Amino acid sequence: MIDITGLVSTILNNQVNIPLLYVIYEFLLKIPVIGSIVTFLLSIIPLFDVPIIRLLIGFVLWKPMWVLLIIPGFATLGTMLLILPWLERKLVGRMQWRVGPREIAPRTRGSIQLLADSLRFLCQEVIIHKDAHRLYFLQFPFLYFLPVLLPLLFINAGAIDHPLVPIETPYALQIMVGLISLMPVFIMGVGWSSNNRFAFIGTVREAFMYFAYEIPFIIVILAMIVLYGTSNTAEVITVANQGSWLHWGIVLNPLAALTFFIATVMATARLPFEIPEADQELAFGPFIEYSGIAFGLAYVMAYEKMYVLSAIMTMLFLGGGSGPVIPYLGELSYGIWFVIKTLIILLVMVNLRGVYPRYRLDQGLRIGWGAMLILALIALVWSIVIGVVL
Amino acid sequence: MKKVATPDYTVADKLKTHVAALSTAAKEVVLPLNITTHYPRERKRQPECFRGFMLFDPERCISCFQCSFVCPANAIWMKEAPSGRYYPTVDHGKCIYCHFCVDTCPGGALKTTKIHDIAFRTMDEMVAMTEDMVEPPAIIREDKVVVDYVIDKEDLTLKRTKEVDELIVEIEPSEGVPMVSVCVDRGSCIACKVCTKVCESGAVSSLKDEEKLIVKMEIDSEKCTGCGLCVKECSMQILRLVRRE
Amino acid sequence: MENPNAHIDFLESGPLAPFKKWAAKWSLWPCHFITSCCGVELAHAFACGYDGERLGTLNLGIARQSNFIIIEGTITRKMARALQFVYGQMPDPKFVNVIGACGERGGIFWNSYNITHPSDIVPVDFFVPGCPITPEGLLRGVRALQDKIMGVDKTTIDFKKVELPFEEQLEERMVPTSPKLFAPTPEIKVDIKREVDWDFGKELEDKLKKELIGLYESMTITGVNRIAIKTTPGNLKVVAQKLKEMQFDHVKSVNVIQVPHERKFIVEYMAASYSVEELMPVLVTIFTEIGIKDPKLQSLMSVWESANYSEREMHEFFGVLFEGNDWMGKKFLLAPDTPDLPLRKEFKIPEERYAFEEGVEPEFMVPIEPPKDLYVPIWEEFIEKAYDSDEIIVPIGPHHAGSGHLRVTFRVKGDRIVDAIPEPGFVHRSMEKLAENKLYIQNIPLFERLAINDPANMNLAYVRAIENALSVEVPERAQYLRTIMAELSRIEAFYYDSGIFSLFFGHTTGFMYCMAIREMIIEALMQISGSRSGPSFIVPGGLRRDIPDTVLELIDNMTFALNRRMKKFESIFVYNPVTVARAKGVGVLTKEDAIRCGMVGPFLRASGVNYDVRKIAPYDAYDKVDFEVTTGDDGDCLGRFLGRLAEIKESVKIVKQAVDAVKGIQGPILSDDILGEYKEAASDIKGNFFRVYGNLVLPKGEWTTITEAARGTTLFTLISDGESNVPYRVRVISPCWMNLRGFMEAVKGERYADFWAVYGSFGYFPPEADR
Repeated sequence: MIDITGLVSTILNNQVNIPLLYVIYEFLLKIPVIGSIVTFLLSIIPLFDVPIIRLLIGFVLWKPMWVLLIIPGFATLGTMLLILPWLERKLVGRMQWRVGPREIAPRTRGSIQLLADSLRFLCQEVIIHKDAHRLYFLQFPFLYFLPVLLPLLFINAGAIDHPLVPIETPYALQIMVGLISLMPVFIMGVGWSSNNRFAFIGTVREAFMYFAYEIPFIIVILAMIVLYGTSNTAEVITVANQGSWLHWGIVLNPLAALTFFIATVMATARLPFEIPEADQELAFGPFIEYSGIAFGLAYVMAYEKMYVLSAIMTMLFLGGGSGPVIPYLGELSYGIWFVIKTLIILLVMVNLRGVYPRYRLDQGLRIGWGAMLILALIALVWSIVIGVVL
Repeated sequence: MKKVATPDYTVADKLKTHVAALSTAAKEVVLPLNITTHYPRERKRQPECFRGFMLFDPERCISCFQCSFVCPANAIWMKEAPSGRYYPTVDHGKCIYCHFCVDTCPGGALKTTKIHDIAFRTMDEMVAMTEDMVEPPAIIREDKVVVDYVIDKEDLTLKRTKEVDELIVEIEPSEGVPMVSVCVDRGSCIACKVCTKVCESGAVSSLKDEEKLIVKMEIDSEKCTGCGLCVKECSMQILRLVRRE
Repeated sequence: MENPNAHIDFLESGPLAPFKKWAAKWSLWPCHFITSCCGVELAHAFACGYDGERLGTLNLGIARQSNFIIIEGTITRKMARALQFVYGQMPDPKFVNVIGACGERGGIFWNSYNITHPSDIVPVDFFVPGCPITPEGLLRGVRALQDKIMGVDKTTIDFKKVELPFEEQLEERMVPTSPKLFAPTPEIKVDIKREVDWDFGKELEDKLKKELIGLYESMTITGVNRIAIKTTPGNLKVVAQKLKEMQFDHVKSVNVIQVPHERKFIVEYMAASYSVEELMPVLVTIFTEIGIKDPKLQSLMSVWESANYSEREMHEFFGVLFEGNDWMGKKFLLAPDTPDLPLRKEFKIPEERYAFEEGVEPEFMVPIEPPKDLYVPIWEEFIEKAYDSDEIIVPIGPHHAGSGHLRVTFRVKGDRIVDAIPEPGFVHRSMEKLAENKLYIQNIPLFERLAINDPANMNLAYVRAIENALSVEVPERAQYLRTIMAELSRIEAFYYDSGIFSLFFGHTTGFMYCMAIREMIIEALMQISGSRSGPSFIVPGGLRRDIPDTVLELIDNMTFALNRRMKKFESIFVYNPVTVARAKGVGVLTKEDAIRCGMVGPFLRASGVNYDVRKIAPYDAYDKVDFEVTTGDDGDCLGRFLGRLAEIKESVKIVKQAVDAVKGIQGPILSDDILGEYKEAASDIKGNFFRVYGNLVLPKGEWTTITEAARGTTLFTLISDGESNVPYRVRVISPCWMNLRGFMEAVKGERYADFWAVYGSFGYFPPEADR
């Protein structure tokens, strides 16, 4: 027998505190008709002593659910996926002296462009060519979701004393690294099952690049673990915000931040490291044979990966969700700060497309195994030194 | 002779150029030198001499076939009008808008317009018959704003004016040199009557001289338009185009 | 095609129909099917000038992920296979727009032996007329398609019909005959002696006579800087070797002329020198005659590597067998099903019609059977060789995001390109054949289509050949104006190439910036001629009309205005460390290799040869303006790229000087010699065009001119029989065609990804190469 009442009280006692909601609630009550509707809705009380509507809202505001569903979870992710490609196209367009998508909704500067694109992908034929490995060809893009989504469970979007993390574990960073390392395996699977010359070359390039960025990436994370003295994401934020922003990762160890950023750009195959997908050379490399919704997934996945990695970067280097508390928003303001910081990183990252051409594979590898590895090692040593000093 | 050397970057150069590229990009995001014409809603103003769809004025046409002869793409075919005269038709599926025909037309019957943004559904629609070319065609226009390219010593900027651009160009049709056909060697005429048959304006007539039993060709210089077809077709090459006095 | 509207019906079906339609409307992703010169205007339509992305159309290079093909102009027989392929690969529902006259009824290439009609191959939604189309036209096509998707299928133009005036009936009508005059049995001579004032030539002739004693039949000076040596087929190779020893180190052209009524072929090689300065302007033609039956000849490839591709081409066109060239019997430019030996005089192409005939259903389009199979050959031995040595074969193109319309097959070992086999001809529109069937004047727009992004230079190159034959002096004002146009066109071409170069590196911003600068130059060219990129403005003897001072003012302003955007381009792309890393030391072509392969233009100069036709044999106003030739020593991709950027600065300098000079010169812009009695047309040809140019007949003989177009030396050889008003044979050697050999040489040994760096650095423009 499950202790429902206990569960309900657990949920209601562990809520994200947003004063604004009370303000809205009181305001609603004052409006003549709506106020009575609200009162009526609140009067529906099923089994336990809590109105059902309160229970529903409470469920969403329940911290584990909140972080999973709202910030930094699915809702933020979804919004990001919808607006990020649009923002990218607009900003890069602006940089290029043009406009970017617009006519679809001139008033809002074409903000629903991605909706049309994804709907179109959804309604389009999915071609599985006869040389492809049918089963894997379809499975891999969907399986790819897992390693991309799972790290979200360990991201702390909160601030000091207000952790917003779905799963709190002392091994969070290690688990995240493990999950992120899985991503290229799925891309390789995608490329392999496509059975296409260019997909093959792209896959091989992805595999090469994987090693080039993965090792500096892991070392940098290691450096940050050393620096913070913990790999528990909840504690990381606490440590990072001890002395306001002066203890943020980016201040204490800017080299690590730079290396992490470059590794992120490499991992997400953005320019100048868009080597595996190289539009002009390989025609999207591993994804060359994908059409319709399967390609739409792959297209979106790249942004998803970017979001997750940027979120990690925000958490590790920019002090997570810390920032001045916005009145009435309560704990939500941490989330907002977190999203803003992530968005800034993302925008910088997507705008690199307008600034840089593409490196060659060997140059990419040289940067990975050379400059970045050295930077990462210096960052590690620096962390140790800082750790001893502080 | 100027030698161009390729740069060799040191680490400092690299950093400098990285910063230069990034700062240029940042500057452009903040203050872009945007030059986009929002086409369906705006229209760029083309110069008067723009080479677009042609209009045709049958009054001025002398049916000289020259437009058809000069057309590099063979897009102009002459079609017999109800009056029996030949007028040009333009196949826009072949036309390359070189406007050799407009420059050729001795009577100034063909003239240019600024119409050029057309999409046809089928290729059959693309043949503009003579009767289609007299009046300016109606095209779909969504533009409310005219964009002018202003190039000064600094930069190219766009000047937007809220007006609807007139696509029909009013230029006085220039005329070629007025010519007239004359026979320079009456004696060699073999009376094949090709000149009569080919003449569009009925200027060449044949007179039968009953006494000498020969046929004499007579060119009525008043009626002659100077199209030169008879000169071209004459098998004895005894006709010449000369200036009208 | 069963139901041409199946894609629209699909969108209409099902409960989600409104969403499907809406999504399809705003998400038309063209798969970038670059097939010919209209691709240049497509670039403009999607670049910052017009920005097609506003309408939700995002260019994507890959068939699988796009739903819209914009067929950009000519679909040749070879390209038709690619079109079928790409269309088949695209997921349903898919849409097709055709832009440009070539893709409709053929445009200026309507009677070519190598084109097809796209509408026979795929169901087409909209046709956009023009040659090339304007970006507005292209976007109008997209708009019309959007409307069609939403269910409003209407034409965008409504012709108003009027009653034509009725006059009295004329009797006995006759349709005039064709204006073209063909001599039935023309006398073809390529070595007609001309008295010229050329002292060095006489010296050279004596020297050559001494060297080649007993090896030649006759030696003639055919003009300034032109010497023709007749020899026997057996002695040809020996003569060539002797010439090579005399520092004639490359071949500018290989030409075959068929004279059917004398049952012979004249085969000629034009040798020139890059090594000795005084020999640079000289073209030595060695020619020989062989019988029409079983024509065989020793290949000169072993002497002059630069003759290699042209020999292949001549073999394909005429069936002359060059023994020793390893490509004999294989297809190079033509598709498997193109008619054999198309340039022989026996092979007739459809005749023009000038009027609707009574009782005959007008046939606007020459019926062409599209290719049925999808077979595109790859050299078998090549594949075997690769599989024997654990290499992989990677074919690039013709439909590939970064190949344009060139197909190159690589043998790749690891990341290194072991061997590359080019397969040009995807845009072979048979210009040489068409030119034999057009009046001299009609060939002006034809040859302009060689390179639509470098139109004035192509235009000028052809016109100069005619002027050379007629010995027409161009009035001074026209000389300067022509120089301005040529230089604007050169800047335009270089920016196009720079844009493509940056695009090949994935740097779209660089591409957009280049297109923005081009937009300015195009504006100037349009103010001059009325056409964005097909001016056809330079005519024998001068220009079509005078240019008003306001336009000159605009050009003057532009030379300053270019600076600002040029600087931005430089800081974001040219000196970007990634660009430098990618391009420096890559695709090196040494001076020796460049000469051996017969490179031309900036690509030759980048390898350290100081050769510029504008300097060594100045034409128009080039001897009156001050400019420098830019050379480089590195011969790598970056050197070639920066060299051209430096040339842009020189060009701007020339334009500035020419604009200043032309303001002070008033006078006619057409030569009196050519106008004859139509002196009124001296400042505007309007009204007298055909009368002046319609019956142009060139003096008998061969007329070869070299002109410095943007991408290098363009050679036009006109062969006239002295009687016809159409050329007997036209040989065009475009710069890109000459550069192809060196391009393939530079690719070898580089990394796979470097192919695009090399491609971009050579500014290879397939329509120009394939002709």
